[in-house]
Amino acid sequence: MVENTNILGELKGIVGDAHATSDKHIMYAYSYDMCFVPNKLPQYVAQPANVEEIVEIMKLCNKTKTPVIPVGANTNIGGLCIPKKDNTLLVDTRRLNKILRIDEESRYAVVEPGVSHAQLAEELFKRGLRFGWPVGPPSGTVVGCAISHGISGMSGRYGLNSQMTTSMEVVRPTGELCRVGSCAIQKDSWHSFLPLPRMDGLFHGWLGTTGIVTKLGIYTPAVPPYYEIVTCSTQNISDMYKYMLEFSRYEVADDLTAVNWWLSQVPIPYPFKEKPADAPEWNSYAVLYAYTEKELEAKVEAFDMTIKHQQGLGSTVQATEIPEESKRGRTELPSQIVGSTKNYCKEAGGGISWPGTFTPANKWAQVYDKWYDIYTKRNLSPSTRVTMYRGIHYGMLRAMTPINKQSPEETENAKMAIIEALRVLLDAGGIPYKPPVDFGMEINARADKGYQKLMADIKDMIDPNGIMNPGQLVVR
Amino acid sequence: MEWDFRNIDDEGELNLKHFFWKCTACGTCRSGYTYGPPPTFRVICPQGNKFGFQGFYGSKGKAALARWMTGCSYLKDEKFEYTPEFLHTLYTCTECGGCQNQCMIDFKPHIIDTIEAMRARAVQDGKGPLQEHHILLTSMKNNDNPYTGPRAIRAKWMKKISKDTKLKDINKESSPVLYYAGCTPAYNAPVRNLALCTVSVFDKIGLDYGALGKTEVCCGSTVLRIGERETFKRVAQHNLEQFKWLHDERGVDTIVTSCAGCYRAMVEDYPHSDEFKECMDGIEVKHTSELLYEKYKNGEWEPTKEVNMKVTYHDPCHLGRHLKEWIIDWDGSTQWKGSYLDCIDKGIFEAPRELIKAIPGIEFEDMKRARNNSFCCGSGGGIKTAFPDWAAENASLRVEEAADTGAEMIISTCPFCHANLNDGAKVIKSELKTMDLIELLDQAL
Repeated sequence: MVENTNILGELKGIVGDAHATSDKHIMYAYSYDMCFVPNKLPQYVAQPANVEEIVEIMKLCNKTKTPVIPVGANTNIGGLCIPKKDNTLLVDTRRLNKILRIDEESRYAVVEPGVSHAQLAEELFKRGLRFGWPVGPPSGTVVGCAISHGISGMSGRYGLNSQMTTSMEVVRPTGELCRVGSCAIQKDSWHSFLPLPRMDGLFHGWLGTTGIVTKLGIYTPAVPPYYEIVTCSTQNISDMYKYMLEFSRYEVADDLTAVNWWLSQVPIPYPFKEKPADAPEWNSYAVLYAYTEKELEAKVEAFDMTIKHQQGLGSTVQATEIPEESKRGRTELPSQIVGSTKNYCKEAGGGISWPGTFTPANKWAQVYDKWYDIYTKRNLSPSTRVTMYRGIHYGMLRAMTPINKQSPEETENAKMAIIEALRVLLDAGGIPYKPPVDFGMEINARADKGYQKLMADIKDMIDPNGIMNPGQLVVR
Repeated sequence: MEWDFRNIDDEGELNLKHFFWKCTACGTCRSGYTYGPPPTFRVICPQGNKFGFQGFYGSKGKAALARWMTGCSYLKDEKFEYTPEFLHTLYTCTECGGCQNQCMIDFKPHIIDTIEAMRARAVQDGKGPLQEHHILLTSMKNNDNPYTGPRAIRAKWMKKISKDTKLKDINKESSPVLYYAGCTPAYNAPVRNLALCTVSVFDKIGLDYGALGKTEVCCGSTVLRIGERETFKRVAQHNLEQFKWLHDERGVDTIVTSCAGCYRAMVEDYPHSDEFKECMDGIEVKHTSELLYEKYKNGEWEPTKEVNMKVTYHDPCHLGRHLKEWIIDWDGSTQWKGSYLDCIDKGIFEAPRELIKAIPGIEFEDMKRARNNSFCCGSGGGIKTAFPDWAAENASLRVEEAADTGAEMIISTCPFCHANLNDGAKVIKSELKTMDLIELLDQAL
């Protein structure tokens, strides 16, 4: 970093005195999130009010070589916004909190980076529209989640939230403002990245290392009037996988997910507790939305046929009835109850982390069996979820790992379990999403050299001074 | 008399530290959101809304402050120091509990206690409260009220009471009901009408009641909120002993107050005394709205005069979401030690509304943020004294929200809210005024 003791003064000159600080107690509040990544204080936090101020901030950071990280609500579980370098500036986008447009006819919205899921949910509901609400805090930001490949209650039908984005405006690390997608060609047209070159790929999944997204177009489909949640259980993951494999081929579920017994407990048992012998190990729910009653009946019929067929093959799958209250937890999103982490870490303490991954479905069983051993050996519940995404048979495989953050020893124990689980997963072909640096190191240790060089070359091109979230990608 | 307030540095298994380390920083506390349907997203944290940085926002911010103050084992090289900026952050929380209402984990019941414990430590360390609060402390020391008014004029409002009043001097005459006026109606001229209307209404419904007049002493709420526990204990002890005397010697079995702050102090804070049960045995504390609603439901009175007005109601924090009985699994026999299980909501939400709606000619509409998700007026927690401009600015947001209902008047049941909302109206040059429920009822009787 270029020695410049007046960075704070310059930041205040850009955003105003009240919106930039280096007060230590405020830095502390930004120095951690839910996960096991240790605290590290940033040096400054600035809250710009508009794009122009962000541009000026980035120019300043380039001039002074100040590391910078954009922050939404900081509710990621990957330490993405925790500084990796000294003297880091966090750009807190809270004040850019407008829903700029909801185009009901074309079914898309344009939002600023400070817009939360809760805020958007209220507005979309009024119009009979929806978005990919994650099972996370309602305070989480739409942009932060979407550009980091967030998963939602519609991943079966529409894919990840990043697959529901349509256009974007970005401040590049050098302070240049650019648009990507249709809004680059026609200023107020935010409908698609296609058929242009997919330059949005420079900003999706890069974990805040290639620019600050200042506007994002998102697809907002209608809320169908009919829905049903169909549920079933199996005694083992192998049978659950086979059921999900078959049922997902009908391509009728908005969300097709299964959780094991530990993850279905409220909250996750901490420390590990034996599953009752008579309880099935896996429970699945599939959320079926439909525009007509007939459509819904047909979808339910597909479910019934799958159950019957699987049972005929000797599977332990059983259709089940679950309480209405439980069903609401899957459809009433964003959920204050689930998103508050109450269901996850209420017993353990102030943290949660995961090996959260996208993994070929035909590897779930082999990975899970090893995860079970890794976790129980460390007296942790192997609380695991699998979700089938749209498209080829791959999807989420993750072990929600509550952490007692007050105890460094217990936090380290959880971290070791997670890293060990991650290695097993990577060797099986899965890939973690929103990875903390520890995960990034494991990924890169296995990654194709050409891939790593391409990533580094892109990073060097777009961020020549290496200021944006340095260290997060590991390669730079 | 001993008091069992918790301290931020208490040792022990289920100390405050255990609970503020339970905060997962999920940020659910930042907004008043419910799924509904319909989903509703509401700003709920006045401090976060104004100052913006994460240390200011919700209980997540307060947990961060508490961890910083007591030491974070992950940051061995960093040492906590009092700075003016830290104290500013600590003392710009209104302690409204809006964040507490959102939280769902074990930290939830302990959030306000954590804030007050941090302030108490600041006071103990000679660093708090803020310089702007010292006038309040000096006034309490010299005059037993936070308004710098001499003791001698505490009962000045009583000179305006009708000569036909049934109000007794309870120092001399027995009565089953003590009307505890509180400092705000006594010393804050813009809301003095609240006490006069209380007397008027009580007279009209034929209540047998008395007041302490000059011998009344502050409930201590204001000083407790800014961490000045010793002054609080002094006046609270005086009050508890006085209440016992009034019960034993004057037959008082009900204390009624029109002030939400006084009510909250007596029902939530005074029980921290080891002599509370003994002093308050046989005495109930009620808010005016509670008492009047009970009597209304019993058919003892009803509003008969028309008041043709559209109104909305502002739920004071002290009369609403602060009134919770937390059910905590302290011994671990249900879930685990310290688990937050449930709460019994004792907030007084419906009585004021029912009384308003009982008035002929009244049209009533709630604001979007109501009951447990009411938006704090911005006056509490020592804010009005230290940051009067910001308190009024925050109140103006509430006045704007009230205006959206089409109301011609805001009704409240807290003189702090009353005064601050009127100040807020001035900030935005709004015609929308606030009056106390008791003033409205007086018009209707």
